[in-house]
Amino acid sequence: MKRQVPLILCFAFGIVMILTQFSPHSFSQGIYEEVISWTLIISPFALVLATATLIQTHVARIQRRTDHWQYSFVVFAGLITMVVIGVPFGPQHQAFEWLYTNIQVPMDATMFSLLAFFIASAAFRAFRARTFEASLLLITALIVMMGNVPVGDLIWNTVLGWLPLEDGASKARQWILDNPNLSARRGIILGVSLGIISQSIRIILGIERSYLGGGD
Amino acid sequence: MNRRIVFILVALAVIIPMLLPVSLPVSVSEPTQQLYDYITALPAGSTIMLAFDYGPASLAELNPMARAVLRQCFDRDVRVIGFTLAADGTTLASTIMREVAEEKGAVDGEDYVFLGFRPGGTQVMLGMGNSISSVFETDYSGNTTTEIPMMKEITSYDEIALLIDLASGSTTELWIIYTNVRYDLQIAAGVTGVIISQMYPYLQTGQLVGLIPGILGAAQYERLIDVPAKGMLWINIESFVHLLIVLLVVIGNIIFFNQRRREE
Amino acid sequence: MELFGIWVAALLTLCIYSFLYQDNPFYRFAEHLFVGISVGYGIVLSIHQGLVPFALKPLWAALTGESLSGLVKLIPIGVGLLFFARLSPQHVWLIRYPIAILIGFGAGIAIPNVLRANIFEQTRGTIEPFAAMHAGTLSGFGVLEAILMVAGVVCTLTYFFFSVEHRGPVKWLSKVGIAFLMIGFGSAFGNTVMGRVALLIQRVDFLLGDWLNLIS
Repeated sequence: MKRQVPLILCFAFGIVMILTQFSPHSFSQGIYEEVISWTLIISPFALVLATATLIQTHVARIQRRTDHWQYSFVVFAGLITMVVIGVPFGPQHQAFEWLYTNIQVPMDATMFSLLAFFIASAAFRAFRARTFEASLLLITALIVMMGNVPVGDLIWNTVLGWLPLEDGASKARQWILDNPNLSARRGIILGVSLGIISQSIRIILGIERSYLGGGD
Repeated sequence: MNRRIVFILVALAVIIPMLLPVSLPVSVSEPTQQLYDYITALPAGSTIMLAFDYGPASLAELNPMARAVLRQCFDRDVRVIGFTLAADGTTLASTIMREVAEEKGAVDGEDYVFLGFRPGGTQVMLGMGNSISSVFETDYSGNTTTEIPMMKEITSYDEIALLIDLASGSTTELWIIYTNVRYDLQIAAGVTGVIISQMYPYLQTGQLVGLIPGILGAAQYERLIDVPAKGMLWINIESFVHLLIVLLVVIGNIIFFNQRRREE
Repeated sequence: MELFGIWVAALLTLCIYSFLYQDNPFYRFAEHLFVGISVGYGIVLSIHQGLVPFALKPLWAALTGESLSGLVKLIPIGVGLLFFARLSPQHVWLIRYPIAILIGFGAGIAIPNVLRANIFEQTRGTIEPFAAMHAGTLSGFGVLEAILMVAGVVCTLTYFFFSVEHRGPVKWLSKVGIAFLMIGFGSAFGNTVMGRVALLIQRVDFLLGDWLNLIS
């Protein structure tokens, strides 16, 4: 019951989904549509996992009085406020939208914008042409960075205006993206896709079972 | 150099040009032009889907392109079905659609509809291939989808001329994998800087009919529709920060090679 | 209320930027508030835009006799409810059932679609320029680009091919593959810088424009 049934379910749903892809028969397509509607129903329940994990983590922090445990109350305050307003009144309620617009949006956007500072600092301290490969990476990055902004073409046209190529910075950027970058990315896509397919086969056949977790 | 000095330099490189703006011409790249041309060539009354697959963390890059694309669609009488697969982008997407619609005089339910969010990702993509109303029984405001005027003749991807995925994650690849070949859905994307590079193999095969690359793409699109907005403003400010970072990298390498020579 | 919202958003933005100086209570407060609010928002959206339309509405329609087909949905709803087993240590194994179904579904649906979209189509894209070359519609520079693309894809794949030892010609192919990868990663870095800086510019635009009204 604890391991065999999930393995059988996984196998059955996997095989059904493969077979229905190859059969245009209405019976097969009926099953295909029904399975999709089933998984659509099951998916939203997974929010229990994320919420339970978050709550357990912060309850444990408070119980154990770990570093900065007091801030876990702030997490709960934010979470409860949103749920208390949003669940009964819906996500289009004025107060709910206000909290989203003036608290969640600015903080989310700001949190990720911190990376601009760190990326600049890291570029200064660690972006070195130590080897041939590192030099390739560095030169490409600099060309793409300059090709991405209008000042790149301005500098090109001012300094290298005598060349028969206008807007060379953005054109160089585009050529890199269209050619060597494309080849490398395609190699990665092909490699990763072969990996996905082999891993999917292992999952369906029950060879890969890590999703079952530990225990009996 | 102390890293806080680098931080201050970066901040100044943004603040000063923002207070004293400059305006340099932006050249349009081919992938952006392709998407613009594709929408321009659509007959009036066509319907496209706009997937707002991003949250507030990526709004700086994707909001300007969402606005630019919506402006072009409403100007050309192309109807838009908006929705999101990112829970945290729902209110954001709803607001943008409403604001641009008000600006262009587009009518909710006739010229556009915002369906909201559904969890599931891949299942949502596949489900809409069978029937849009089986996944979005109602729109975000609670109206029954099949009773919305513009949705009466739209049941699945068969009636959709193009899907534009505004993405900050891997959703564009998922749209391509699960809907392009199986349902023959034409797909274009507007993506954040982080994932621009990985889109190019799909552009070359035609699995993507166009691409708006980050804030640069947003600026290019604003130029194409001739409505300069945040994209144009920000890409010019971006110039100064990029110059600073290039300068920092060059200085860092000069210091590094000098040190190495001394050690040798 | 709008002005108050702008002030709240601005102060929270500054709280997060204070981290650039050093970790401090203002940053920790904002960080924890952000986690709570965003998880709360996610819960509300998952309930109103997921559980309600997919599970509760069909169930209600079935129970009230409006649409008896909704009774079939009881099975996936029951399976979805097993996610709640996460809350009971004795019954936590039950969440393997919905996870196994979702994993099996995902694996089954992935195999044919990934094969078609990522293997066949990408291979077609790599070979197609040679058809154009054969038909004489590809220019001289285009021919070079087509050869470069095939070389890049093959060499990148060789780098990821670990079933043979990287010696002799394989080693050299793999080295060329690394060069392509470095150009790919360099272009990704250049584009990432653009993305991250854009996030910062947006926040500064908010602070100087919406908050301080310094931008005309």
